[in-house]
Amino acid sequence: MGKCILTVDDSSTMRQMIVFTLKEAGFEILEAGDGVEALDRAKGQKLSLVITDVNMPRMDGITLVKELRALPEFRFTPILVLTTESGIDMKQKGKDAGATGWIVKPFSPEKLLEVVNKVL
Amino acid sequence: MNRWFGRGPDLEAAAMPRHSQEALRPLLARAAAQESTMLEGQVAFLHTELVQVDGLVQEAATTLQQALRTLDDRVKAQHRLALSVQQAMQITGLGIDSTEATATLSATIVGTLDAFVNNMLEISKSSMKLVEEVEDIRIRSDRMESMLGELGDIAGQTHLLALNASIEAAHARKFGAGFAIVAAEVSKLADRSTALSTNIQQQIEGTRQALLRTDTQVQAIASKDLNLAIQSRGESESLIGALDGSTRKVKELVAEMEVNARLISEQVGHVVRSLQFEDLVHQTLQACMQELGNLQEQASAWRALRTGLENGEDASQLLQNLCGTLDEVEAAQVRFKAVKRESLAAGDVDLF
Repeated sequence: MGKCILTVDDSSTMRQMIVFTLKEAGFEILEAGDGVEALDRAKGQKLSLVITDVNMPRMDGITLVKELRALPEFRFTPILVLTTESGIDMKQKGKDAGATGWIVKPFSPEKLLEVVNKVL
Repeated sequence: MNRWFGRGPDLEAAAMPRHSQEALRPLLARAAAQESTMLEGQVAFLHTELVQVDGLVQEAATTLQQALRTLDDRVKAQHRLALSVQQAMQITGLGIDSTEATATLSATIVGTLDAFVNNMLEISKSSMKLVEEVEDIRIRSDRMESMLGELGDIAGQTHLLALNASIEAAHARKFGAGFAIVAAEVSKLADRSTALSTNIQQQIEGTRQALLRTDTQVQAIASKDLNLAIQSRGESESLIGALDGSTRKVKELVAEMEVNARLISEQVGHVVRSLQFEDLVHQTLQACMQELGNLQEQASAWRALRTGLENGEDASQLLQNLCGTLDEVEAAQVRFKAVKRESLAAGDVDLF
């Protein structure tokens, strides 16, 4: 069984593209459509990495990062933000919340794999 | 400050006399009605169009995702086939990555056949020598037959001599009785010698016939073995040539399949990146929808003004209300660009 990665995005297309890319590399992937669902899915899971969008219904990605960092089991889990947002202010918010890295959409499969392998 | 009528207090300061307000009331109501109707119409139209575009884009993205998965499955299947071909070639000793193995195998087969042909040539030479030996035996047999002829003559003459001796013994009556016995024994020996000579001659004839048959067989074997060996070597060389060609061809095809798989894999990467347009378009459309909501608010504000005017409410207050609503709408206006990227090139990565 490969390492488990949780991908959070309200776009099913984005989630599918992430699943397509990372499953090829042998990772096990969990999916969530927003921050609330992500917190629910994360419970009791041994996650190696979380990849989250920012703009999502119910709970945005920055809040999700803060919520996860508040949980002891995810204090040191790498969290990558994958978003269309590329502004410096928003990036700083992500960094302050505890994100490990920031990837601007669209991602290229090779680059995503490279970054994932780097942070794991 | 609002973009329609300036600041509220200025509006109050510029309040018109009551009779002027009443005169403007129908005009204002009509303008408000036109504005609200127009805005509502535009909002409804744009909303329908945007929803349709969003649906079409999502449907296209879903179809493309399915096609991508199928394509990926097929590419993997093709890769597995190429691996199977490689394994099959290795099992037969013709490893794709080993042209040397093929050359070694060919050399081994050719070497074995050469040894076989050389062996056949030696057998052929021995056979020819055997033919010569058979011929020598035949000549010797002929000589022996000739000698047997002489032996037959001697036996005949001995028999005749014994007959003469027995006649002379008869003439000598009782004095030749012992001599007659000797002559009879000599005659018997001559008879036995003749019978033996005949028997030997028959044996020699049988031997000659056997030698003739042996000679024919040996010559046939020598010729047949050599021809077969040479023919086999030619056929094997052709077969090895064909095998070499086939191996080379398979190797080229497998290499081509690998190149194709790599190219397809690169293209799949582009497709994965480009398919994310659905998310970018969806976010842009969501921002447009939000702005449409603001426009709808404006339309409602204008409609409220019209209704108020038609109901005889205070025009100044109605205008104040309109300004307040428009201020709220302005504050809620989408001021950011939902998707800043203008191409589908991969975005930046920043690790903190």
